[in-house]
Amino acid sequence: MNWTLNLLLLLFLVTTAAVAIRLRDLLAVAIVFSAYSLMMAILWTQLRAPDLALTEAAVGAGVTTVLFLITIFKTTRRED
Amino acid sequence: MRRAAVIGALLVIGAMLLFAIGKMPAMNSRNTPDKTHVIPRYLEKGEAEGGAKNIITGVILNYRGYDTMGEVTVIFSALCAVVALLDREKRGLSRSGPDASGVRSSVIVRTVVRFAFPVILFFAVAYMMLHGEGSPGGGFQGGAILGASVIVFTLAFGLPESTRRMPLKVRIPLESTAMVAFLSMGIIGLAYGVNFLTYLLPGVHGAMAQTVRNLMLTVIEVGIGVGGGVIFISIVFAMMREDKYELQPDVPQP
Repeated sequence: MNWTLNLLLLLFLVTTAAVAIRLRDLLAVAIVFSAYSLMMAILWTQLRAPDLALTEAAVGAGVTTVLFLITIFKTTRRED
Repeated sequence: MRRAAVIGALLVIGAMLLFAIGKMPAMNSRNTPDKTHVIPRYLEKGEAEGGAKNIITGVILNYRGYDTMGEVTVIFSALCAVVALLDREKRGLSRSGPDASGVRSSVIVRTVVRFAFPVILFFAVAYMMLHGEGSPGGGFQGGAILGASVIVFTLAFGLPESTRRMPLKVRIPLESTAMVAFLSMGIIGLAYGVNFLTYLLPGVHGAMAQTVRNLMLTVIEVGIGVGGGVIFISIVFAMMREDKYELQPDVPQP
């Protein structure tokens, strides 16, 4: 396995997770969270779990992001 | 004070977790029970018992068929909850119409969606669902992508256009496909006198048994896919819908 790629992916994963917690703009959080899911999906393929990778890409990056976005537009964008 | 307590608790929990990780078998160790028992069993007998070339599908639909059926029930319950809370179009309780934000997006977005939509749909149905037993993917993932393609269409062309093409009377029967497919395939086993959710029917042998089993698995995959996808679409439609009815006096104004 390509460990430099994995290291970069893991670093990016931790960064996106931390950023998603720190940000106050919920729209940005939803987008960052979708990037987190995309990294996770690539990591699943690196771990030879293509089924999980497809699920993560479809549900994590796609479905939950759409639901988050609609909820944000229906409620408020700022977290106080 | 409180901050120090939180940091201390985190440090203690972290130390305990790190200690537990140290006690775990090494990564890629060949002596753990899952490597010595579980994986060989699935790899050797999975295709014969599970009935699918992709072992994951065999595990999901056969060894853990009840578990998957429970998940389908959970998704259906989620739709019921969302519809009960948000979607009043069925019961005529309000003048709730399609979302007022029928603003059409830019011509670039609409053109891209027009070309990408059929490709995504084809990928979801043909590769994920129909070929799910032989390759990565399956009903759930296919359903999520199927739903996502329609959502992309909705975002580009607006909710009125989307609800016009997928009206309620088309969605209602499709929403229950997942449960119906799973239960009816399970009951076929009962009718043959074997356990619920058995795909190897007694009295059917050889190549015929393989065909029947593949057919049943495909019906379940497509059922989960279409059902899950349409449930997702309905949930999103219900969430996007804009309620125009007046709030009751006892409901506090936001």
